[in-house]
Amino acid sequence: MIKLLFFGRLGDFATGLSTSIDAVDGLTPAAVRDGLAAGHPQLVYELSQPQVLISLNQMIVDWDHPIVDGAELAFLPPVTGG
Amino acid sequence: MISTIRIQTQDFDLAAEYQLLRQLKASVGAVVTFSGLVRDLEQQQSINSLTLQHYAGMTESLLQGIVDQAEMRWDLIGITVIHRVGKLLPSDQIVFVGVASQHRSDAFEAAQFVMDYLKTKATFWKKVDQNGQQYWVESKSSDQAARDRWSTDD
Repeated sequence: MIKLLFFGRLGDFATGLSTSIDAVDGLTPAAVRDGLAAGHPQLVYELSQPQVLISLNQMIVDWDHPIVDGAELAFLPPVTGG
Repeated sequence: MISTIRIQTQDFDLAAEYQLLRQLKASVGAVVTFSGLVRDLEQQQSINSLTLQHYAGMTESLLQGIVDQAEMRWDLIGITVIHRVGKLLPSDQIVFVGVASQHRSDAFEAAQFVMDYLKTKATFWKKVDQNGQQYWVESKSSDQAARDRWSTDD
């Protein structure tokens, strides 16, 4: 299982979405994003914005980084703390 | 160097945090503190509240990374970073950065560095409530520019 997290405004577009997906061979963050396209086109549009970062197990990675079973994948819009 | 990083819902006591930094070592010759507050206006309109979300675990490690970078760049004795999460009201304290060093320039610069990086790197997101209408705050290019001035020094 891969745990999915959507932070900030991305969370509003992910309402009702399952918080985990099955792990498959060759899975990448880009593939996870593209797999959401059918049911959540607006979310995929938001995830495709260049400012969106992704983390795997709380480390920033690229969209083509391999995902292993048990990982936590988070989608991070630009931060606004402080 | 002694670093303290806390993410919490409850308020913090500026005087108490200052005293802790002041008393770290007898060699402390300067303490710079910064506190960030909730402004009453967002996009020229008054707000009812602000809600801060963060990515637990990742936020703490990102803040530790920023503090570690500051330690490499300046001669520091202590750094404290406190960031509040949850629902906050106008004038509430959101963030505290305190830096203790032997000399003032190290403390001034490191405090500004930590804030500039915190604002653009640490995983916090603000949601505003304006008369029941809620929206997420957009990031500002001025914050990116403030951070980028530190990297041009390298």
